[in-house]
Amino acid sequence: MQDKAVVYKYSIKLMWPAMCRNRSVEILKDRPDLVDHMNKFRQKVENVLKIVCRKHYQVDATYLMSGVRLWFESGQDCYEFIIRQPEFEWEIQPELSVMNPVTSQLQTFDIVYTPTGVTID
Amino acid sequence: MKSAYITVVGNLPVRFDIDQARKLGPVVASANSNKSMEFDYATVNTETTLQDILNSANFRNTELLAPEQLFKKYVFFDGVTCLPDFPGLKSYDIDPEKCSTQTLSLMLAVYLRQTIVFLVGYDISNPTELTRLKSIMLANPTIKFMYICDPPRTYQLDDLDNGFCDNFIKFQELIDNAG
Repeated sequence: MQDKAVVYKYSIKLMWPAMCRNRSVEILKDRPDLVDHMNKFRQKVENVLKIVCRKHYQVDATYLMSGVRLWFESGQDCYEFIIRQPEFEWEIQPELSVMNPVTSQLQTFDIVYTPTGVTID
Repeated sequence: MKSAYITVVGNLPVRFDIDQARKLGPVVASANSNKSMEFDYATVNTETTLQDILNSANFRNTELLAPEQLFKKYVFFDGVTCLPDFPGLKSYDIDPEKCSTQTLSLMLAVYLRQTIVFLVGYDISNPTELTRLKSIMLANPTIKFMYICDPPRTYQLDDLDNGFCDNFIKFQELIDNAG
């Protein structure tokens, strides 16, 4: 039987470490130390995702100046990743994108951190 | 392949094996009125009902569509999806947060652009519900609406060119022919 295709419904952007943000491709060519730092960061993110996620996830290979986009199949995994940020001292862009299977649109909502958890506005 | 048919199960309890209707195309449930069946989509606009549905095994593979405010509260639940912005909501004077779920299901069926909509267990005893159904039918003249009911048949929809009424025996025949 054919496996059901994985649909990544949730997406967030994890910011690069401050020193790696907003770097043009030209700068990165001259700064192998930054590229190395970014590669190590991506690897660390992958390792954390392996621990946190129970279902499929993906680290987007597309290079973005501000950060790295992560895709989750499950909302529960996505929530777990968001609320465990203080452990890793990473910064998530406070926006959650959700794929709407009825309209096929990627809807974006603001993530609001509260003392009791995370809400969406 | 995209199906031409869609079945909307209204707010009334249905004594018909809706699983069979899935041979024709997707089936949309209205909240948890028929909890013992499996559906492709279900519309819901109250928090208590949504919680009840999330805890029901039968709705595990159902796409649950909720208005934006409710959706935001349950965004991290995989099966919960935001209801689309249905065109003409204002002109129909329909508030998705307050209207009946069967109206939401009907609007979803129309939004999904199927050519024939079967209405099963759809409550038209309430004049508001009947008026809304007729308004939606009038606004979508290319879609045929087949109201399925037990005899005696209703004549409430006969004044519309795209409104028809038939019984469950005919509906069963159609399903058998499709299978």
